[in-house]
Amino acid sequence: MEIQLDFVSAETLARKGSAEKISFILDKIKKNVIVVLEEALEPREEAELIEATMREIDAEEFHGIEFYRIDSRARGLREKIAEYIAGRRHGLTIVGPTRLIEAIKREPDYISMLARIDVTEEGKKKIRRKKGGK
Amino acid sequence: MLSELRKSLQKLLRIFHRKKQIQLGFYGPVNAGKTTLANRISLDWLGREVGTVSEIPHETREVQKIENIVVTTNNGELRMNIVDMPGIATQVDYKSFKAFGMSEDEAKARAREATKGVIEAIKWLDNVDAVLVVLDSTQDPYTQVNVTIIGNLEARGIPMIIVANKIDLPEANPESIASAFPQHVVVPISAATGENIEKLYEAIQKHLT
Repeated sequence: MEIQLDFVSAETLARKGSAEKISFILDKIKKNVIVVLEEALEPREEAELIEATMREIDAEEFHGIEFYRIDSRARGLREKIAEYIAGRRHGLTIVGPTRLIEAIKREPDYISMLARIDVTEEGKKKIRRKKGGK
Repeated sequence: MLSELRKSLQKLLRIFHRKKQIQLGFYGPVNAGKTTLANRISLDWLGREVGTVSEIPHETREVQKIENIVVTTNNGELRMNIVDMPGIATQVDYKSFKAFGMSEDEAKARAREATKGVIEAIKWLDNVDAVLVVLDSTQDPYTQVNVTIIGNLEARGIPMIIVANKIDLPEANPESIASAFPQHVVVPISAATGENIEKLYEAIQKHLT
């Protein structure tokens, strides 16, 4: 049983506006892909992501997301200015479908992600359908 | 940078335009006790409850407004409208409702309403003057939902108090909430028993008006 993780660079994200970014993430999540973004989403983007997720939820196929922001955002004024000029927000965001991600938990020294693998035939078919296979 | 500037400007404007009656939003994750707290305040000062409370998640699926509450504290009168929001969640699976004895149709209808409720609560972020973030002190506070709610309030410059609810339960650990969010005022209470509710009123008056 495979799990697909897509790593998306900060450069790719910087080319997208908020709405485009959210739709890009959700498109992947709905195909049962776990996405690792090379930036910390802004709180407003997180709210937009939740809102967009709620609109996409359907009873049978998609029940929502789990996500976690690992924030190493600059705190000092100089760092903030540098981030603003570079257009990059340091950190990572992990987003995945609840079908795959059981939980993402913060431990004292690391972030732990528990993934669930559905190895039933029905589960495999659903994943294949999502990825466009038969 | 821009959000920092906007936040400072909003703080400044708030000083010059203190409202006599604040619109106080109740935000938090699902089943944290927001409606129990709204009921407690409403019962104390208006003599009636306003919402139903249940152990089934997403019991509050529409925004509920309680208007013209006047609370008397040691420091004078506190006038507010309470806006009790549906709990914020990142997932809604109708099957979880079936575990509480609901039929398939009932569970699916509840899930549809719950997703709309979350969207409505997020939209209301732009219409509240101040917020009580109600958290369940028996749960791990450092969840992404909690971080997102608090981050959004910070980004919008909306003043908030974190309510560490359910301190009547033996496993409650309000200190963990205070250490997770040390930059904010945390008031431990029990909405169910009314414990510390006076301290909450005083904190609202001191920090949110």
